Amino acid sequence: MTTTLPYHRVNVLTGTKAARIIEDAGEYAHLIKRARRPLLVLGARTLTMSLDGRLLIEYAADIASAIGIPICATAHTKKKLLELGVEPASSYDITEIVNHLKDPEWRGVKKEGNHDLVMFLGFRTDFGEQALSTLKHYAQHLKTMTLCKYYYPHASYSLPNLKDEKWKEFLDNLITNLKEKEA
Amino acid sequence: MAVVEKKKHTRRDEVNEIIRADDLWEPVGHTPMAEIPDLRNWDMRLMKQYKPLYAPMCDLCCFCTYGKCDLTGDKRGACGIDISAQQARVVLLACCMGMSAHGGHGRHVLHYLIEKYGRDYPINLGDQVAVEAPHIRTVLGLKPETLGDLEKALEYVESQLIHLISSLHTGQEGSALDYESKALHASMLDHVGMEVCDIAEIVGFNFPTSVADTPLVDMGWGAIDKTKPTILLVGHNPVTAVPIVDYINEHGLQDKIEVGGICCTALEVTRYSERAKIVGPLSRQLYFVKTGFADVIVTDEQCIRTDMPQQAAAVGSALIATTDKASYGLEDMTKREADEIVKDMVKGKQTLIFDPEKAAEVAVKVALELAPKRKKELVTPEQVPELAKDHRLCNMCSQVCPNLLPVGDAVEAAKNGNLEPLAEVFSKCIGCGKCEQECPRHVPIFKMMQAVAGSETWKVRAGRGPVMDTEIRKVGAPLVLGTIPGIIAIVGCSNFPEEINEVADIAEEFAKRKYIVVLTGCSAMTAGMKKDKEGKTLYEKYPPDFDAGGVVNIGSCVANAHITGAAMKVANIFATLPLRGNYEVIADYILNRVGACGLAWGAMSQKAASIGTGCNRLGIPVVLGPHSSKYRRQYVSRKEEDDWTVMDGRERKLVDTEEPSPEHLAYVVESKERAIVTMAKLCIRKNDTPQGRQIKLTHYIALHKQYLGTLPDDLHIYVRKTSDIPIFFKKEVMAYLEKVGWKEKPVLSLPTLVGTYPSEVPLDAVVH
Repeated sequence: MTTTLPYHRVNVLTGTKAARIIEDAGEYAHLIKRARRPLLVLGARTLTMSLDGRLLIEYAADIASAIGIPICATAHTKKKLLELGVEPASSYDITEIVNHLKDPEWRGVKKEGNHDLVMFLGFRTDFGEQALSTLKHYAQHLKTMTLCKYYYPHASYSLPNLKDEKWKEFLDNLITNLKEKEA
Repeated sequence: MAVVEKKKHTRRDEVNEIIRADDLWEPVGHTPMAEIPDLRNWDMRLMKQYKPLYAPMCDLCCFCTYGKCDLTGDKRGACGIDISAQQARVVLLACCMGMSAHGGHGRHVLHYLIEKYGRDYPINLGDQVAVEAPHIRTVLGLKPETLGDLEKALEYVESQLIHLISSLHTGQEGSALDYESKALHASMLDHVGMEVCDIAEIVGFNFPTSVADTPLVDMGWGAIDKTKPTILLVGHNPVTAVPIVDYINEHGLQDKIEVGGICCTALEVTRYSERAKIVGPLSRQLYFVKTGFADVIVTDEQCIRTDMPQQAAAVGSALIATTDKASYGLEDMTKREADEIVKDMVKGKQTLIFDPEKAAEVAVKVALELAPKRKKELVTPEQVPELAKDHRLCNMCSQVCPNLLPVGDAVEAAKNGNLEPLAEVFSKCIGCGKCEQECPRHVPIFKMMQAVAGSETWKVRAGRGPVMDTEIRKVGAPLVLGTIPGIIAIVGCSNFPEEINEVADIAEEFAKRKYIVVLTGCSAMTAGMKKDKEGKTLYEKYPPDFDAGGVVNIGSCVANAHITGAAMKVANIFATLPLRGNYEVIADYILNRVGACGLAWGAMSQKAASIGTGCNRLGIPVVLGPHSSKYRRQYVSRKEEDDWTVMDGRERKLVDTEEPSPEHLAYVVESKERAIVTMAKLCIRKNDTPQGRQIKLTHYIALHKQYLGTLPDDLHIYVRKTSDIPIFFKKEVMAYLEKVGWKEKPVLSLPTLVGTYPSEVPLDAVVH
């Protein structure tokens, strides 16, 4: 168990099972590529957070399009995604998608089967952490991964707390790594 | 020797005696004075459709000395409990706390009023409110006529509480669903307790009733004249606030002293005195206390700062605590002479006074003595950089902020003369003060906020109490048919995720669309904290009627019972269903036919948990803000996968409606935009006429397009026949329906869950 504290102290873990911290974009990309049915779930803060003048949702669009990851556009992110020319596979809100992901028999957003890796980006950290808690406790058939700059204890894989510069570097490298073919 | 035959005295005999069953105002239904098992089947039926979804805050249970026990994965604790049951147990605990807070408040008010007026003091809510207590009528089967009858209702609530709390003990309940059923029971009783409380206050303190057009009262710290002695009331109980106003009036001090309130006492005292002012909601409590504007702070109960003695002392405000719920370790001075207490308080002693009249006298006298000796000045923008000079951007303040605000960046900007980020932080601040506490360099962040908080004032309509029977007669049919698209009930605390005026935005979105918008508590205040271009608040722009397009301040937290009561009155007054001991039938009616949806955008407290869960048992869905994910449980469905079969009451056959209406019962969303869209959807009911459904879908589609950019992905689920399609969107919707292969669905005129689960209620009971 890690001793890293989440940036926002409201998310300090009271428990036994914490996320594995990964800083290497290559390892993240490997995990994503290895997944059979990954899903990218976007929260409202992708519309307000930006890095180097680009909204987070634009990075999300690049990540998804790099290897064709379906997007679940929660909150009111769908409108902006469409403006960016990206059609989300689902506009379930966060509670709905989590509730469906819990069920191993669910057919997934593309009706091809439930997802084995669910990536989260751009949620309030407290709300996101609660959603991840549900999946940690009730969806042991899948792994969760966060792409935000904060450490999320309830995820399976999380970034550490990062400064914006490092975070941007990570996201850029992730996109590059995703586009590269694995040996 | 003669044999004396003992007559068996059953529980039902006892109940009949309490509710005066021989009074034949309505037949007694199946569950008078329901106990925990009596509505369990109803709860299980609800939860078959709306399954609990848990988000544990913690992997562990630490309730007993067996633990801590790790409950991750398939592990159970040493007592055998699993993670779901433990979450539901915590939910029950929260609901019991919430219900007890309202019930305890009610008990205090009743004690006071019964001592003053006697148990036979009559209940009279005016000539427009004949169905005076829909919850007491429905849950107990009692038509309360006196304060003594209200006491009977509270005694019943209290008797249930002991069983509910006992089930929380280690080695009791092991089922999450049964814990949830108990939470639903506790929360139903919460609405009884709230109703007792508000009715007692109306009759005992002569609060407004049978009126819509209550006065517009001043709100905002700017409304307080700081040149005058000022008494600040904090909490949720008017038992001391009312005598304070009386004392001021009796001594001709109306123009010489200011009375302002924070939280629900503010809403209550402004129902008593138009001159009293609302300082603001809970989130502004610490801010205002720290200004030192209050010469005397009078606390009662609930949502008051637990460090009030320290906060008051820090700014030289005198403090009087007045209830056994929050005594702060202060010396009880109740039996001392008022003038002696005043002398001590002027010297700085904080006191506990349980006698409301004495507390009132002391508060006024201390304020008059202290005020001339105190300086009341706010920090100016020019002073801010100096106050922030020691700031080093360690961001500890940002890290401990429960609302995740970039406090450190804002303080850094302020240090350099730019106050805009600090103003933005203040607009989103929930008022906990953790930022300042955490600062290693002791930067007075809250004090700095005085420079950006402004002194704007607003107008809020005073709380009006129960919805009138005459209003229900007018809106009953359009609500049930769907032509008034819904009741939007915006309730709860000020733990808002974003700007404080989001509540006003949401309320206005629905008011302008001709929903009925009702508000209570801190949400009722904050809805008034935004002005249009003409300088008008919602309360000045929209009519105060419980009617299409009305914006109605019902009152304090305990007035929430009047909101759920209004839905019950629709079943009773419009549909002529008897209320008496008839909970399942009334809840079934509301679930299937009354398009109502709650919003607790800033829910913080355990009271909010029980208020919301009480709505849920009654069939009213509630949308919650993101902080509410920390309540740990939602009630949600899966619209495409779940079975939406109900009974067609007229045809007496089961029908798969394929329609998730309402889709969820307790549902957390992240953004205001999604909340608005979701609430419009959650007002859809199976009973809607084609005309009503068209209207509801018009709003759902328009809002979805506005905020999410497209037609709703689930639109086809809510179109039963082509006659449901809004004319304005017809072409677009028809093309969409064709694309997704839509097929017609059945339309029911009498949808009911009765007949779909084990119940003593016959189907005939829902046919009216």
